[in-house]
Amino acid sequence: MYRTYVLKRIVYGTLMYIVMVFTYSALFNSVAEQTMRSQIGEEVAQEMSRYKNLDKDQFQTLMQKRLADKRQKYHLDDPLGARIFWRAVNTLGFNYGNATIIKAPNGDKSVLVIILEALPRTIVLFSSEVVLITVFGVWIGLYAARKPNGFLDRATSALTMITNGMPSWWLGMLMIMFFSYAVPIFPSGGLHSNPTPTGLANVADFLWHLSLPLLTLVILGVWGTAYLTRNIVLTNLQEDYVMAARARGIPERRVLFGHTLRSAMPAIVTMAVLSLFSSIAGNIIVEGIFGWPGIGNLYFVAVEQNDVPVLMGTLSIETLVNMLGFVLLDVIYGFLDPRIKVGGKA
Amino acid sequence: MNTRDSLERFREFWTEFVQVKSGLVGLALLLSFLLLSIIGPLVVPFPDALSHWHDINYWQDNPDAAPPAWTNLLPWVGKKGCVSRLITSYKTEKVEEDNGVVLMKYSFAYDYRWDKAPRDIVVRFQGSGQVPVMISIARPDGLSAELYREQLDLAEGDVGRVSVARNCGQQVIEFVRSRNEDLAANLNPDLIKPIRILFSKLDANIENDPEPLKGTYTVTLSALILTDQFRLEKPAIQVSGDVSGLMGTDVSKRDVFTGVVIGIRWALIIGILTSILTVLVGVVLGVVAAYFGGATDWVLNRLYEFVYLMPVLPFLIVISAIFKPTIWTLIGIICVFFWTGPYKPVYSMALQIREETFVEASRALGASRRRIIFRHIVPILLPYSFAVMALSIPGVIVYEASVSLLGLGDSSIVTWGQILHDALTQGAVINNLWWWVIPPGLMIALMGMSFAFIGTALDKILHPKLRTR
Repeated sequence: MYRTYVLKRIVYGTLMYIVMVFTYSALFNSVAEQTMRSQIGEEVAQEMSRYKNLDKDQFQTLMQKRLADKRQKYHLDDPLGARIFWRAVNTLGFNYGNATIIKAPNGDKSVLVIILEALPRTIVLFSSEVVLITVFGVWIGLYAARKPNGFLDRATSALTMITNGMPSWWLGMLMIMFFSYAVPIFPSGGLHSNPTPTGLANVADFLWHLSLPLLTLVILGVWGTAYLTRNIVLTNLQEDYVMAARARGIPERRVLFGHTLRSAMPAIVTMAVLSLFSSIAGNIIVEGIFGWPGIGNLYFVAVEQNDVPVLMGTLSIETLVNMLGFVLLDVIYGFLDPRIKVGGKA
Repeated sequence: MNTRDSLERFREFWTEFVQVKSGLVGLALLLSFLLLSIIGPLVVPFPDALSHWHDINYWQDNPDAAPPAWTNLLPWVGKKGCVSRLITSYKTEKVEEDNGVVLMKYSFAYDYRWDKAPRDIVVRFQGSGQVPVMISIARPDGLSAELYREQLDLAEGDVGRVSVARNCGQQVIEFVRSRNEDLAANLNPDLIKPIRILFSKLDANIENDPEPLKGTYTVTLSALILTDQFRLEKPAIQVSGDVSGLMGTDVSKRDVFTGVVIGIRWALIIGILTSILTVLVGVVLGVVAAYFGGATDWVLNRLYEFVYLMPVLPFLIVISAIFKPTIWTLIGIICVFFWTGPYKPVYSMALQIREETFVEASRALGASRRRIIFRHIVPILLPYSFAVMALSIPGVIVYEASVSLLGLGDSSIVTWGQILHDALTQGAVINNLWWWVIPPGLMIALMGMSFAFIGTALDKILHPKLRTR
C-alpha cells in the first residue's frame, strides 16, 4: 500500500519534471540555439586553424562540412519541434553543454562540472541553516507556547511578521557592513581564507566563513518556525493527555519536552523539510552577497557574464532538486500520516 | 446584494478589524505609504528625479557619498561637516550705466556655521545669448574676493554653471596675495582647495590646518546686460558639503531620500497590481475547478501543481536575464506564479459550497453555471481571498527587489531593489555607506510588514475555520 503510494509519487514527480524541462526548452529555444551556433562556430574555427596548409577551396569545403556535421550532431537543422525535443532530452540526460565564459577551477567548461562543484556548498549552507532553524525555532516556539500572550509569544508573532517581507540578502549586506567592516569579526565572504590553512585549521576556517551567512539566514528564518511550532504545540497542549500528565504531577518541563513535543514532532519535521527545499530556491541571492560559491552565487556570476548555458543548467538542476524535495516531502507525509496515502485526491 | 447590505457588512467587518491592533498598525503604515507616494514630488528635494535618475548632469552639483545631514547631531561626530543646500532666494540690484548698459546683481546670503568648509559652491543660472558675468564673495570678516569674470556664450535653454572649486583656484590665490604676500607665496595653485581658503581665517594656518571662519557670506552674481537678447533666469547657488539631506547621497551624487520616496510608488504598483490580478485568477480558477469537476478539475489541478512545483526565483532570474522584460511584463510573469496562492484554499472551500442547498436551489431555478459561479460562489470566497492577497504582497515585492538586485530590473523606473543593486555593485557595503543600504531595504521590510499585518488581521477575521475558535 505504502509502496504503491511512494511509487506513484515518484512517477508523478518525474513526469512533472520532464514536462518542466520541455517547457524550458521551448521557452528559451531561440536564445539557447543562438548560443550553441556561436559556440559551434568558435569550435570549428579553432579546429580549422590546424589545417593552414590546405588551399582555399579545400579549406572552405572542409570547414563547411565540419559546421554541417556539428549542426547535425546538435540537431540544429531539424524542424522546430524536433529541436525543442532534442534539447529537452539532452537536459534530462544532464547534458547541459559547455559554458560560454565561466570555468570550473580545473579549467573544465562543462556546465555539469561547474554545477556539481557548486552544489555541495549550497547543500552544506542550507542544511546547516535548516538544522539550526529547526532546533532554535522549536525551542523558542515551545517556550512561547508555554505562556500564550506572554512576552516571548508576542515577540515571536511580531517578529514573524516583521521578518516576513525582509529580504535576507539585505540583512546580509547589513551583517557584512557591521561584522566584517565596522567590527571586523567575520570574513566578508568566500569559502576559505587565502592562503588556505590545512588540517583542523582548515575546518575551523571553513566554519568561520560559514558563520556569517548562516547567522543571517537563521536570524531571519527562525521566527517563522518558532511561530508554527508555537501554534502546533498550543493545539496539542489542549489535549486530554497533557492534562492527564499534569494531573499525575509530572513536571511541566517534561510535559512540554517529553509528551507534547513528541506528538508535535512529525508536523514540525515535515515543516523543516519543506522549509529546507523552499529556502534553497528562495535564499540563493544570499550566497551571491556573501560570495559563497554555491548555486546561488553561480546565478550572480552567470547573470553578470550573461552565460546562457550556465543559467539554463542551474535552472534545470534547481528544478530537479525542488522536485526531489517535494516528492520526499510527500513520501514523509504519507509515512507519518497514514490517512494521506489512502485518500484519492491530492 | 444591494448597497445597503454591503455597507452594513462592511461596518460589521470594520468593528472587528479595529479590534486587531496589528491590523490597524499595518493599515496606518500602508496609508502613510500611499500618502507619501502621492505627495512624494512635493516633499523630495529633487522633484524631477524620476525622469533624471540615470542622468549624470542632473546630479552633478551634489556631493558624492555624503552621509545624511543629521549625522552632525551625533555626539561622537567631532567636526561638523557642512550641510549641502540649494539657495534660491536672492536680492536683485539693478544698476543702469550711462551708456544704456544694465548691470544686474544677484546677491545670495549664505550662513556658514560648520567646522569643515563646503566641498564646492556652484553658481547656476539659465540664460541665452552673450554676456559678461562676474562672481564675487563677501566674507563675514569684511574681506571680499572676486572669483570669476568671463564672457559666457549660452545657447537657448543652456544652463550656466560656475564651480568655485574647479574654476576659481587662481582667483583665490590672488585674493590671498592681495591681503598677505607671504601667505600666498607658500600656496601651490595645484594643491590648494580654493573653497577651504575662502571659508577660513586668513592666518599662518591657512595651508595646512585652517580655522573655519563662521558667519554670513554673500555670493554675488553680476551680469552685464548689453543687449535685449540676453536673459538670465533662475539664478541659484548650490552649496555642496560633507553631509547632505535626510538620507545622504550615493556615489553617483544622487539623493537617496528622493530615490527611496520615488520607489514607494513602484513597490505599491507592483504589490497591489500583482495581488489583485492573482487573486482574481486564482479565485475564478479555483471555483471553476471545484464546480465543474471532472476533466476541468484534473487539468486545473495539474496546472496548479506544475506552477507550484517550479522554482519561482530561479525561473524569474533566468527569464529576466534572457528576455530583459519591462516592469509590466515582469508583473505578468509574477502573476503566472502567484495565482496558486489563493487557488488551493478557494478550491477546497468551493468544493463545500457547491454542495450547499442555496446552490442547489438556484440550479433548480434554472440559473446558468456562470450565474451560480459569479453571483453565488465567488462573492462568498472573495473576502477571504483578500487576506491571502495581502499576505502574498511581501513575497512579490521581495521577488521584484531580488531580480532588480541582480541588475535585471526595468531601467526606466526607480525601485528599491535597483537602488540596492547600485549600492552593492558600487561598493556601499565595503565602504560602509550605511545610509545608502539601510533606507531602501528598510522600506522593503516596512512595506512587507504593513501588508503582513493587514493580511494576518484579515485572516483572523475572515478565515471561515479560524472564526469558530
